[in-house]
Amino acid sequence: MPTVKITIDGTQIEADNKRTIIEVAREHGIKIPHFCWHPKLSVSGNCRMCLVEIEKMPKLAIACSTQVADGMVVHTKNERVVHARNAVMEFLLINHPLDCPICDEAGECKLQDYTYKYSTGYSRFDEDKVHKPKRIQLGPHVMFDAERCILCSRCVRFCDEIAGVHQLQFIQRGDHTELTTFPGEKLDNPYSMNVVDICPVGALTNADFRFKARVWEMSFTDTICQGCARGCNIEVGVRNNETLRLTPRRNDDVNGYWMCDHGRLDTFKFVNAENRIKAPMIRKDGVLVEVGWDEAIARVASELKSFKKSEVAALGSPFATNEDNHIFQRFVKEVLGTKNVDFVRHIVEGDEDNILLRSDKTPNSIGAAEVGVAPVEGGMSFDAIIEGIHEGKIKALYALEDDVAAVPGVAEVLPKLEFFAVHAANENSTTRYADVVLAAATFAEKNGTMVNFQRRVQRLRPAVTTLELDRAMDGFEMSRWDKFAAHNDKWGKGPRRDARASWKIVASIAAAMGTKFKYNSADEVFNEIAQRVESFKGLSYLKVGKKGAPLKAKAMAPVHA
Amino acid sequence: MNIIEPLVKIALILLINLTTVAYLVYTERRVSAFIQNRVGPNRVGPMGLLQPVADIVKLFFKEDIVPTAANKFVHSLAPLISLIVALSTFAVIPFGNTIHLFGRDIKLMIADVNVGLLYLLALSSLGVYGITLSGWSSNNKYSLLGGLRSSAQMISYELSMGLSIIGVLMIAGSLQLDKIVVHQGNYLGGFLPAWNIFLQPLGFITFVVAYFAETNRLPFDLPEAEPELVGGYHTEYSGMKFGLFFLAEYANMITASAVITTLYLGGWQFPFIENFGFSPLAVSLLQVAAFGVKVALVLLFFIIVRWTIPRFRYDQLMNLGWKVMLPLAVLNIIITGFFILV
Amino acid sequence: MNSERSTIIRKKDLSLWERMYIPEIVKGMKLTIRQMFAPTFTTQYPDERFQPPASFRGRPVLVEENGVERCVACGLCSRVCPALAIEVQAGETELGKERYPEKFEINMIRCIFCGFCEEVCPEEAIIMSQEYELAFTKPQDALFGKDKLVVPIEKVQTRLNFLRANR
Repeated sequence: MPTVKITIDGTQIEADNKRTIIEVAREHGIKIPHFCWHPKLSVSGNCRMCLVEIEKMPKLAIACSTQVADGMVVHTKNERVVHARNAVMEFLLINHPLDCPICDEAGECKLQDYTYKYSTGYSRFDEDKVHKPKRIQLGPHVMFDAERCILCSRCVRFCDEIAGVHQLQFIQRGDHTELTTFPGEKLDNPYSMNVVDICPVGALTNADFRFKARVWEMSFTDTICQGCARGCNIEVGVRNNETLRLTPRRNDDVNGYWMCDHGRLDTFKFVNAENRIKAPMIRKDGVLVEVGWDEAIARVASELKSFKKSEVAALGSPFATNEDNHIFQRFVKEVLGTKNVDFVRHIVEGDEDNILLRSDKTPNSIGAAEVGVAPVEGGMSFDAIIEGIHEGKIKALYALEDDVAAVPGVAEVLPKLEFFAVHAANENSTTRYADVVLAAATFAEKNGTMVNFQRRVQRLRPAVTTLELDRAMDGFEMSRWDKFAAHNDKWGKGPRRDARASWKIVASIAAAMGTKFKYNSADEVFNEIAQRVESFKGLSYLKVGKKGAPLKAKAMAPVHA
Repeated sequence: MNIIEPLVKIALILLINLTTVAYLVYTERRVSAFIQNRVGPNRVGPMGLLQPVADIVKLFFKEDIVPTAANKFVHSLAPLISLIVALSTFAVIPFGNTIHLFGRDIKLMIADVNVGLLYLLALSSLGVYGITLSGWSSNNKYSLLGGLRSSAQMISYELSMGLSIIGVLMIAGSLQLDKIVVHQGNYLGGFLPAWNIFLQPLGFITFVVAYFAETNRLPFDLPEAEPELVGGYHTEYSGMKFGLFFLAEYANMITASAVITTLYLGGWQFPFIENFGFSPLAVSLLQVAAFGVKVALVLLFFIIVRWTIPRFRYDQLMNLGWKVMLPLAVLNIIITGFFILV
Repeated sequence: MNSERSTIIRKKDLSLWERMYIPEIVKGMKLTIRQMFAPTFTTQYPDERFQPPASFRGRPVLVEENGVERCVACGLCSRVCPALAIEVQAGETELGKERYPEKFEINMIRCIFCGFCEEVCPEEAIIMSQEYELAFTKPQDALFGKDKLVVPIEKVQTRLNFLRANR
């Protein structure tokens, strides 16, 4: 790889000669403003915002498409460049409407930020602006405002290059140029909403999030998408203790800058849903009644004790964290003493692509298996458990949060159980059959780790508070309102449910049955996993960090406690 | 000796005194309002004249709070001491010449004690007990500081006050207040009443300043300095107990004015009244009126001073007391002695 | 510490005449006595009511124009409010402005009448009215929703004129 020496703003830099100035500058912390350039998209060079001065070149050059060459001396902040940027900003703003108050992008808008940073601050434009259509539904999830568009073509290139479908194009000429879909097409590819993220202005906006909140009112928590085994890194936007929006977070090892529409739209609404289990419930006279935690736990403990070991089966969950599954399998094997433990895999064969989507629709199936949710020798697997219920061999079932009854053939046998306890976050087909429903915290309400299909451990962080947690005390991300709301203020206080992380519930049941698991927090559980499970050896929450860490290669014979 | 006569006098004086206290508060509020270009209380009754009644009713209905850790007995006793002392000083003040009424001569003072001046000094220094005890018994740091300041202030100024009076004594040659007043009935050079203020200007100034300090009035109200001590000694008082302190402060003011009038402003003397040929009864009554007018003017002076001069700092207070007032009072004695000798 | 930006003025020592206190006290008392006869400023409140000038910052209100509030629920007032008194929830409307406040609530107990909301508003939609009689017996009464906040433009024209003139 031939390297060259260049100078940017007086700093000597060695770089690969195939790279462009903007890339090299970015790697060395020199920010060159840009609209149309994106690290994962092809270079288009149409916004002209990244103009820099290169010595011995007569005119300013755009940093995004100029490759570095030996001895090149680049200036990104001198008077000529600043003057040129002012001019570029002035041109961009000529037809850009001044509707930031209405625009959802306000607060995270590149054009807005650059106007503050690189513009002169006033307009010399007296004529009428060009008016274009507003409020166009480009696709099922994306709204388009043609006036705000600055024609950077990022969205067009995204569809062509990343999503691999040709759906967007510009029509007309000059200041009448407009973005549109091809005739008969809609912006409906499974990754369509990424154009909202990459749009540097508010031209393309999230139809689902439309006008829900201003970005500065939310707190953003780094966590992991629950949509499939990919485990895309995401940020959860929360206001008034209500999750409002998921956005992808860059992780080049997992998802790059992107996430799919399914993950973005369908994996957080259950957290605020009306059918949330707000407190533990016990079935009394055929109806589930909310009760206190002590009563629910005592009930589960006494019921589970009353069956023979071989009559009890347990189901872990690929939707639960490693911590939940670990405590669960320890409880099942050490306290219940049953061998019948497994979890349900949710694999939709063929529903995958080579971009992000995986056919395994659960976020943690590898993690669940890895920590030891699997039948002990001589124990029953999932299918055998269902068969066993049918035959009457299994009389009690205890399951973590998973809609087991939705699996074909399961709903029919569940009524045969004498006792069925399930952890659940929402009312679903399984809770209909349950004798005890334990209110489980969702992924947005607890700490934990999950293992994606690449065998990469990644962190979940809590973004929504439950009754037992406190935003300030438990290290949550805080918005301004969260910070300053007083106890008697209405805002900043969305609904809070009396839910608990599954591992805590399981530990309480174990304690009620006479075995104490002593953990104060999820990271203590994880440290135990790291001690007991070979592939987790040497890991800790600190090492997993924001971007995750790979598990050790499959051990010869995994050691389970 | 007839017991009815002093009882009537006591009742009369108490009545007049307490009424005056009530209206003195009203006057102070109105005058301060005028000084500050405001209106003052003007809603209760015509011109707000029923405001004192409303105030007292309010004070009676307020909850009486005694701090849990306070010494309850002393806490209740302290305001009583303050008020009783303030009122009983008045016993030796002559507020008129002997009057001939109902066929007998009535002395217009409650107790004609031959050591009236000493009695006066003794009682005025007792007043500080009320304040110090209230500060101590409240079990509150601010109250205690207020009480301590009050006793320190009393000690510092009592001295110069006593020394200032010696000048008056030397001239009158008597401790009897009645005699002191009579002595002021002469004329200097036939036109100027021989009031002690003219004979003893320096003594008058030191006495008045010291008495201001004794009554804890601004600029010497350090025991209750709001910016530093919340409410000072009465921080922990509420309801009518607070009301008693309030009454005591203003009763003290009246007593102070009466004493100043008696000692320096000719007491009940009405200059040149003998030249107009009124009947003896009319003369007596006019003299009483003259006493009232003089007291009222001194009271007004008290009020205006309060709204004019800012509070002293503690070190300034002590400096003034020991380094200025005391030498001046001594100087006054020397000068008086010199003139008497000459 | 004598920096370039500050000059220390040493107070001259008082003269003997001034240090004698008495003349100065007399001076002061002359002043206070003179003030006693100066006219009073008091307004007899419930009888006479203060008519605030246009520059007065009373309770904030939302301007209603042609039957619709001007507000587009941008949330800037809520963001700038130093007392965090304002809560806005936007919603979508068919009108040209696209966006309207579904909920607009000012907690008048928190409000400090600084007028920042008015200053920051890009639509001249929230302005400080001349109303100053705000007393509540219950904290809930102090939560002003759109029903109390929206005021026809005619009622606040003086303030709007003032804002235009002093922009």
